[in-house]
Amino acid sequence: MELHVNGKSYALEAPAEERLLWVLRDWLGLTGTKFGCGIGICGACTVHVNGAAVRSCLIPLAAVQGADIRTIEGLAETNGGGEIALHPVQQAFIDHQVPQCGWCMSGQIMQAASFLAQSPQPSEEEIVRAMSGNYCRCGCYVRIRQAIQQAAEMSGEKEAAT
Amino acid sequence: MKQDRDHSEQAGPPASSHNGNDEAQKGERAEATPAMRRRWRLTRRGFLIGLGAAGAGLAVGGYFGRPILHGIMAESMAEAEHAGSSFMQLPDEPPFWLEVLEDSRIRLSLTKVEMGQGVHTSIAQIAVEELGIRWDDLVVEQADTSSKLVDGFGTGGSFSVATSYGPLRRAAAGMRSLLQREAAVVLKRPEAALRVAGRGFAVADSPEIKADFYSLAGAVTSWDLPEEEALQLKATNEFTVVGQPVARIDIPDKVTGQAVYGYDMRVPNMLYGAVARPPTLEAKLVGASAGEAAVMEGVEEIVIDVENGFVGVAASSRSAAWSAVKAMETEWDEGHLWQQEEIEALIEPAGEGGITIQREGNTAGVLGRETAITATYRSPFAVQAPLEAPAALADVLDDQVTVWVSTQSHERAKGLIAEELGVEADTVRVVPTYLGGGFGAKLDTGVAVEAARLSKAAGAPVHVGWDRTEAMLHGYLRPPTKSVISGALDGNGRIVAMEHRQGSSDVAFSFMPEFMEVVLGADFGATVGARIDYDVPNRTVTAWRKTLPVWTGWWRGLGLFANTFAVESFVDELAAAAGADPLQFRLDHLPDSPAGGRKRAVLEAVAELSGWGTAPPESRARGVACFGSNTVVAQVAEVSVDEESGEITVHRVDCAVDCGLVVNPDGAKAQIEGNVMWGVGSTLIEQAYVKDGRLELSNFESYPLLTMRRAPDVRSVLVDTGIDTPYGMGEPPIGPVGAAIGNAFTAATGRRVRTLPMTPARVLDTLAGGGS
Repeated sequence: MELHVNGKSYALEAPAEERLLWVLRDWLGLTGTKFGCGIGICGACTVHVNGAAVRSCLIPLAAVQGADIRTIEGLAETNGGGEIALHPVQQAFIDHQVPQCGWCMSGQIMQAASFLAQSPQPSEEEIVRAMSGNYCRCGCYVRIRQAIQQAAEMSGEKEAAT
Repeated sequence: MKQDRDHSEQAGPPASSHNGNDEAQKGERAEATPAMRRRWRLTRRGFLIGLGAAGAGLAVGGYFGRPILHGIMAESMAEAEHAGSSFMQLPDEPPFWLEVLEDSRIRLSLTKVEMGQGVHTSIAQIAVEELGIRWDDLVVEQADTSSKLVDGFGTGGSFSVATSYGPLRRAAAGMRSLLQREAAVVLKRPEAALRVAGRGFAVADSPEIKADFYSLAGAVTSWDLPEEEALQLKATNEFTVVGQPVARIDIPDKVTGQAVYGYDMRVPNMLYGAVARPPTLEAKLVGASAGEAAVMEGVEEIVIDVENGFVGVAASSRSAAWSAVKAMETEWDEGHLWQQEEIEALIEPAGEGGITIQREGNTAGVLGRETAITATYRSPFAVQAPLEAPAALADVLDDQVTVWVSTQSHERAKGLIAEELGVEADTVRVVPTYLGGGFGAKLDTGVAVEAARLSKAAGAPVHVGWDRTEAMLHGYLRPPTKSVISGALDGNGRIVAMEHRQGSSDVAFSFMPEFMEVVLGADFGATVGARIDYDVPNRTVTAWRKTLPVWTGWWRGLGLFANTFAVESFVDELAAAAGADPLQFRLDHLPDSPAGGRKRAVLEAVAELSGWGTAPPESRARGVACFGSNTVVAQVAEVSVDEESGEITVHRVDCAVDCGLVVNPDGAKAQIEGNVMWGVGSTLIEQAYVKDGRLELSNFESYPLLTMRRAPDVRSVLVDTGIDTPYGMGEPPIGPVGAAIGNAFTAATGRRVRTLPMTPARVLDTLAGGGS
């Protein structure tokens, strides 16, 4: 089995039916992607497969052969000087002091990043619809929504500047 | 500020994998940092003072004082002539420690765990404030059990900041004073001429003359701490760090996936464990065999201990462990197959065994004489459901046991693990990680004991992470409740008598020695919020403890949510009977006392915030409710009701809180927001019930949580009534949510839902005139 994660390639002797979530966490040590329910409801395990937000707890390893997988660990960009530039969603989540326990946050951020890539100027209603499959037990919903609005604005300004 | 935690390096694939990939294989076996053995002496003033870990330099620790829980027990035990029991004595070790590091930064080691409440940041603010140093010059370290810092109470009860505030200020001021005195000697200037400058002291008018903390701390070998009265504590109006919305120190790691939780712990060659679970509430294991698990790939160890009801496996991957435990053959005696109706019949606040927790006047006499109204309110079982399921990694060696666990009580875990393994507690090191939510659920440490058992059997480190179904079925739940409340008004619309008969199964009593039940009488966890704090001349509150076949216990706010729902819904029913505005009715019944004054302040603040008295937006209605303990809360919910579907929409919850001195206002507001979401979820959605001998729960499809779609806006205001010490903030705002929503529902529809949750079916039934 071969996996492409965050720009790196991995060769694994893992069972083809093993779920992507456990391969990321237990085989590759990328524990930023979290287990919440295992049945695709809570969204804690959300990662990007070819840019689309998917629930890694449901995806067998065999289904993502050759795909470009991105996890929370690979969302920020590192420039040539080794400086890390957080994704606008990550930055907005810091600016709004969104996380409490943080367990759902990788999934929230990956979901939001994929959503904003497709809908750069979302309405509040569109944000709520896009994010209503991601549980936050601490109840950070007000701040998640506000942060995504800010991230959209930040991306829009960056876009306008270039 | 950096969070200094014991993060073990990521370690690689499951044990049996042959992956040679360098990314996945990096890292050595996590080295336990050497236990910090410290020598200290107790001073007359309750500080501890000693040598730091580096062997030189000053370190100061302190006691929290007796936590409130112990206080309650102590008072009760004194009454019962149990005074002197070791149960209430202060621990021999302090719960926090300040020390000067070699680079002259100061390290705060603390026992309180970070589970999203921001406690590491707010406690750090208190230390930085009183030390007078820069924010970046404090290092926060999560203490584990080997640090010899002990906090037997654990993290919970909204006590962390409230109990740390005074002792930590005094310890920090004491440390600062000692360093300043030494600086005066070294720099040959009077103490008053010196100021903290960076990581040391400097002469105020000649800042080039300075000495760093580490050299000062290392220069002397004996220290005489100032008398407590002589400590120069900062005046609260001079605070520059406490009271500021300081950014949380744990957040950067939580948005980049770097924060390490119990479920994330990894060491090389670790195995994954899983444990067989009883199929019914009363099931007893009567037989077990390995079955197909014996020949399954990846299975490394099978443990069968029928006598103690334990069946588990250790395997090379989590999937293999979960599959193997399901493939084992277990035989259970199922016991009585309980049904929900039987459970509900047990939660009856009547009959023998009622404990009266509040009694003034002649309630029964007045209620018998006057025209009384009576209403019954119910709340269901509910699950804490922190999104990180219970998880622990244990490495049991012959002479040393190390366990990393997501827990609210690592001291408790240490004791239970030692007992299970039959080893000395001192050989067990329990390292608390970040918690992916706690909410009372992670005061249970069963998963750590399971991991330790399996590690011992397998001779390898074993990680046990529960799946969602285990997390829902095998912890304790919020107990179901039934409250019957009666009241009567006089001719002027004032409440003359009120009685609250409250039934609940155990909260605190699930975790206490039996003699405590006798001396405490009522379960203070089950009854929190049940009292009648309004100015009513005849009032009685009686609590019935009902034992159920379902394990019930700690849950955010304990009984506060259910009890406030009952009491504050009934106050609105009385207001309606009196023809009074609900908010004015409450103001008119506040006692003439400091507590009454604080409640008035929050009620008036929330009235202003919500526009109470003005017309709500079209098709919406407002409801108010409040609660007061040390922290005082008032809320207004604005709701609309879809009378076709029965769905209640909570558009907004406005909240005014007086939690005393606010350490971190942004953190306090985050706690308000989270509590409101919990309250909305519990009011509209969450319930668990029993069917055919088991809880009808499996995963989030049978127990959905609130999502953003139904999350209200939250506006909050922190009210300052001049209290100069902080009170708890993690739970009190959950209290009024249910009643505020229910009262708004009544304002919108003229009907009242008295049973939680207010599901569409129940709402439609209520609107159609059905009993609720």
